[in-house]
Amino acid sequence: MAAVRSTGLFKRFDATVALDGVEVSVEPGEVRGLLGPNGAGKTTLLRILFGLVRPDAGTVELLGRPLEQLGTSALHGVGGFVEDPCFYPYLSGRANLRLLARLDGGTVTARQIDAALARVDLADRSEDRLSGYSTGMRQRLGVAAALLRSPRLLLLDEPTSGLDPAGTRAVATLVRELAEDGVAILLSSHQIGELERVCTTYTFLREGSVAWDGTAAELESQAPASAYALITSDDDRALELAAAHAGVRAQRSPRGGLSLAAQPRSLDALVLALGDARVVIRRLELLVSPLESMFFALNAGDSLDELEPDEFVDRVLMSA
Amino acid sequence: MTTLAPPAQAPLAAPVPREDGFRNAYATELQKLLAQLTTRLLALLVLLAPFAFTAILKVQSGTPSDALFGAWVHSSGFAVSLVILGFAGSWGFPIIAGVLAGDLFSSEDRYGTWKMILTRSCSREDVFAGKLLAVGTLVVALSMLLAAASLLAGLVIVGAHPLVDLSGQLTSTGRMLALTVVSWIYCLLPVLAYASLAVLFSVATRNGILGVLGPLLVALVTQLLDLIGKGVIVHTLLIGSGFDGWHGLFVAHPFFGPLLVSALVCLLWIAACLSASWRILRRRDFLAGAAHRSPNWTMPLRVVLATTAIIAVLAVCSGLGPAGVTGYRVAASIGPTFNNVTLLQQALIGRHAPPSAKLAVLPNCNRRGAADIGPGDWLCQLYVYLPQPKAVDFQQTNVEYDVSVQYNGCWKASSPPSFIGGQTMQNAAGKSVTNPLFVVYGCFNIF
Repeated sequence: MAAVRSTGLFKRFDATVALDGVEVSVEPGEVRGLLGPNGAGKTTLLRILFGLVRPDAGTVELLGRPLEQLGTSALHGVGGFVEDPCFYPYLSGRANLRLLARLDGGTVTARQIDAALARVDLADRSEDRLSGYSTGMRQRLGVAAALLRSPRLLLLDEPTSGLDPAGTRAVATLVRELAEDGVAILLSSHQIGELERVCTTYTFLREGSVAWDGTAAELESQAPASAYALITSDDDRALELAAAHAGVRAQRSPRGGLSLAAQPRSLDALVLALGDARVVIRRLELLVSPLESMFFALNAGDSLDELEPDEFVDRVLMSA
Repeated sequence: MTTLAPPAQAPLAAPVPREDGFRNAYATELQKLLAQLTTRLLALLVLLAPFAFTAILKVQSGTPSDALFGAWVHSSGFAVSLVILGFAGSWGFPIIAGVLAGDLFSSEDRYGTWKMILTRSCSREDVFAGKLLAVGTLVVALSMLLAAASLLAGLVIVGAHPLVDLSGQLTSTGRMLALTVVSWIYCLLPVLAYASLAVLFSVATRNGILGVLGPLLVALVTQLLDLIGKGVIVHTLLIGSGFDGWHGLFVAHPFFGPLLVSALVCLLWIAACLSASWRILRRRDFLAGAAHRSPNWTMPLRVVLATTAIIAVLAVCSGLGPAGVTGYRVAASIGPTFNNVTLLQQALIGRHAPPSAKLAVLPNCNRRGAADIGPGDWLCQLYVYLPQPKAVDFQQTNVEYDVSVQYNGCWKASSPPSFIGGQTMQNAAGKSVTNPLFVVYGCFNIF
């Protein structure tokens, strides 16, 4: 049974179609990344899944329960937040959690609240009023509020927004551990690197529709190209060799060295050729990952098949 | 944040929680309201203001005689409480309702917290009902706190003395206490109607300023409309008129028509405002939070325009229906009341009339500069035939009173001291007491 199953979701705001036939499914233990440019419909989708926005058409099942019929009862076992988590500024962090726990039925104990605060490193500041919290602290409190529900399904919108690198890594670790424990997670983020660390599947939204949907392996094989920074002992020679290899485009980088756009296999061939030509590779760095290039590609064209390869690669190189 | 660990997991097919969402929503809303500084400051104000008001009155010789019972604030603590009740009906109750209820829903928009509370285990119905009950609880609690504080202030600082009622008769302490308490309790209905209106403003505009100021604006408009128009229909349909219902309890022959009608009107306002609020909230999509939304004044502007239009219509229609204030009713009310206060004054100076003694009072009342109908300034000539102890049976005395009559049938009559003496007089024991003839209050039924 899928933890989330949405079919044919359609939502219009005045003249704007926010979602058009969106179908998303997340299985237990799966971490699905939800990507798309601004206005693609990611937040609207999450708001519909949370019951905050009612779709004009389509259905949502959460943990096997139909949202439309059951309302908030269908949200039992569902945690998370949409956009930035918000709290009452005149209450302390602990009081905010206590209040939310009360809305959940009041079965959460003080010890569980302490544990949730400790998990997000807010135990020391739990008695402070929210008005004194930084953005990152509010974000962490949002994670704690989600954990209080012992969720079987987590819906997270930009969960690391405002967090420092250590906090970001900790959230990624938490997400992985929850997924290993069977929790289904739908994660919307603009931080592509963050998604790559934890996601096993991806859904790309564009203009309210699903533009691409698949596993991480499928994405890697279908992504149009990745971009790399290459610094060698002889950049002129390396540029000549790159030009001679099909599937590799190269140009001088304004930051020094070369910028390459290539599929992994084409890059492998180039690296071997550089070795044969006794050109030493001093640095080879991934600048634009397959996920990022897929993101650019899906934003650029109607579908992957309709992309103009050279034009796209130039765009990837420019972004690098 | 380096010690994160996954929580213990519940079974996948987690059971739906027990259906106590409303109770939980009520408890959390009450907790939120009590934690807010505005609520605490308001409670403090409600508690202290009556004592401050009474203490100021105590050290002043003047009285707020324009308010019903105002001339008696130095004589009876009940008068203090009833004067405060009158002021509260004009401003205090709309402020309590606005401050508590006006930001009840819009604050969730301002803080962006709708998405936090509506994604827990409480339904929209539970949250809506919980909020209403929580704010209702506090509105009632603060109103009763004001009642208790005003009574306590009056009784402690001035004293639990009998008070002259709106028929000019001295009413015992016990009866006056009962009537005063009943009056305060009755006023809960219009306060709750104002709170419902504040809720509607809060839900419809999502703007806390309009929600808080809305009831005050309506109270102001109500008072302005009370100054115009002779018909009873528009006045009766206003929430503020509900605060007049208790006046009929303080006359010799109580009348309950205004009380029952205004109670019904308040219930209609409550039902209309709350059902409209629920319709708006039930269908609402909760989109971007406050942090992501630019200020939107379209809805508040619409509300202001709609309110202006409604005020204009009400002003135009204020003459609709039969006139509540007529020359006959004014005269019929002031005659017996003057009779009673005159006998009371005589008793105070030691001239006790036999039981059921009556003066022959023939009032003739005319409205100044206008037809003898409607609220405003009236002039009443009272032809009093005083019984004489010796040769002549009766001696006619004329007394002229300026009578200010309100739309609700309550009036205040005053006359120059040359006619009826000063504000205070010496009683038989040589003590300075309030002259019952100096300012006379009364009320008649406008239906």
